[in-house]
Amino acid sequence: MKKVLAMILAGGKGERLYPLTRDRAKPAVPFGAAYRIIDFSLSNCINSGIRWIYILTQYKSLSLDRHIQTGWNFLSMRMGEFINVIPAQQRIHESWYQGTADAIFQNIYTLQMERPDLVLVLSGDHVYKMDYGDLINYHLKVKAELTIATIEIDKKNCREFGVIQVNRQGKIVGFQEKPTVPKTVLNNPDAVLINMGVYVFNTETLVKRLIEDAKNKDTEHDFGKNIIPLMIKKDRVFSFPFIDKNTKKPGYWRDVGTLEAYWETSMDMLAEQPNVDMYDPEWPILTYEEGAMPAKIEGRCEKDGIVFGSVYNSIISRGCLIRTGYIERSILSPNVMVEPFSTITDSILMNNVEIGKNCRIQRAIIDKGVRIPDGTDIGYNLKNDRKRFTVTDSGIVVIQKGTAF
Amino acid sequence: MAQEKILLIDDEENILMLYQQELLEDGYQVHIAQSAREGIDKIKAELFDLVVMDIRMPAMDGLEALGRILGLKKNIPVVLNTAYSNYKDDFMSWAADAYVVKSSDLTQLKTTIRAVLDKKKSSS
Repeated sequence: MKKVLAMILAGGKGERLYPLTRDRAKPAVPFGAAYRIIDFSLSNCINSGIRWIYILTQYKSLSLDRHIQTGWNFLSMRMGEFINVIPAQQRIHESWYQGTADAIFQNIYTLQMERPDLVLVLSGDHVYKMDYGDLINYHLKVKAELTIATIEIDKKNCREFGVIQVNRQGKIVGFQEKPTVPKTVLNNPDAVLINMGVYVFNTETLVKRLIEDAKNKDTEHDFGKNIIPLMIKKDRVFSFPFIDKNTKKPGYWRDVGTLEAYWETSMDMLAEQPNVDMYDPEWPILTYEEGAMPAKIEGRCEKDGIVFGSVYNSIISRGCLIRTGYIERSILSPNVMVEPFSTITDSILMNNVEIGKNCRIQRAIIDKGVRIPDGTDIGYNLKNDRKRFTVTDSGIVVIQKGTAF
Repeated sequence: MAQEKILLIDDEENILMLYQQELLEDGYQVHIAQSAREGIDKIKAELFDLVVMDIRMPAMDGLEALGRILGLKKNIPVVLNTAYSNYKDDFMSWAADAYVVKSSDLTQLKTTIRAVLDKKKSSS
């Protein structure tokens, strides 16, 4: 069996997710009530049988580090398994990672120590369920030096991604990073094949190309911009189409890079048959589980045509206490408290948020521990909200951690 | 033609002396450093055409120093020169432009130095 080492890139600043990234790295942003974004990549590793995992961090890594220590400390070092966090060590140059490729290059010592046959490079900020075993088997079958997981999307949505062109054998023959005029797939003029940021490399080829890139002056040390174009010229690079095994259609994969994408991907989880099935016993998404009592919904009282004491189409976590409130299409993390006669719709409330009496909250993301005083409206007068909070283009109000009223 | 400037980094003084003398005779301008740290400081301060560096040195070894030299982004070719051949398996050693096993006969080292310098000239 091939030795596979996973390296999860978790060092990005996540500026477009601000203020959710004010106090934490992007992979540590809470997601789906009980999880952090990185739980998806980590669970995929564990469920795929990959138990050698390094997480490369640099900015604001405390929250992520704590999450890994408390939620992901179950592997057995005795059996040679590990999930280790490596902060930027400045062993090569005295600055932080200059790009995704530089992050791996700076850890060339780690690769040397482990000497894996293959390196699986992942991002810590994607939401998807994927069996990396299929990807690795394909990589070995086609005898590639690099295999990139790809997904077909509508060409209108490809501005933020790398667009890939393949020949009939699946070999990558062209690559455009964030193009304005993307090349579409062979049989569909409206679809493009994009790079998911999930890579399998033969370790020795990876090391050689990283060294070449490190010596080059005209590079941003980025996989998408530099390493992939270089390898397409020199090496066998293949595309592995990410297909949902059940539907045979392109799988569900989201880069939760912006507040809009974060909100939409979160709301996707409320669908009757969510794209990410959290109930799949064969593919559990693991996380740190806080001890708290079961959720409780109190009271029943009709007022102004609203039945308070009711919850529709929402995720309610442990420790939540909803006292004669009304919750619809919302996600409540553990230990959220809602006082009487407050309505919460289309919103995400993170751990320990407290909503006072007679509040109206809609299309809002409220970060951990914020206490909303009695009688507050959020999301009903965006002009007003803009003065105090972050409001996205589509009108989602984001209230950052530590906000006092 | 201006003399090509070589920096020798080795913790053994007699090796430095021997190499210096031989390379001077070949017409190079030769500077020496007796530790990796001293070598890196010199590279930070002035421009060299090539570095010849030992691997096994106290305080900081040649592979760690090689990483740091790369990090300086000065585009200086490095020839690793060591009594041991096993470091060839170390990924970091692949970042060197050449790897020469030490020998009392300096022919191979000299040929390699010439080849690396010529390659640098032709690519710049």
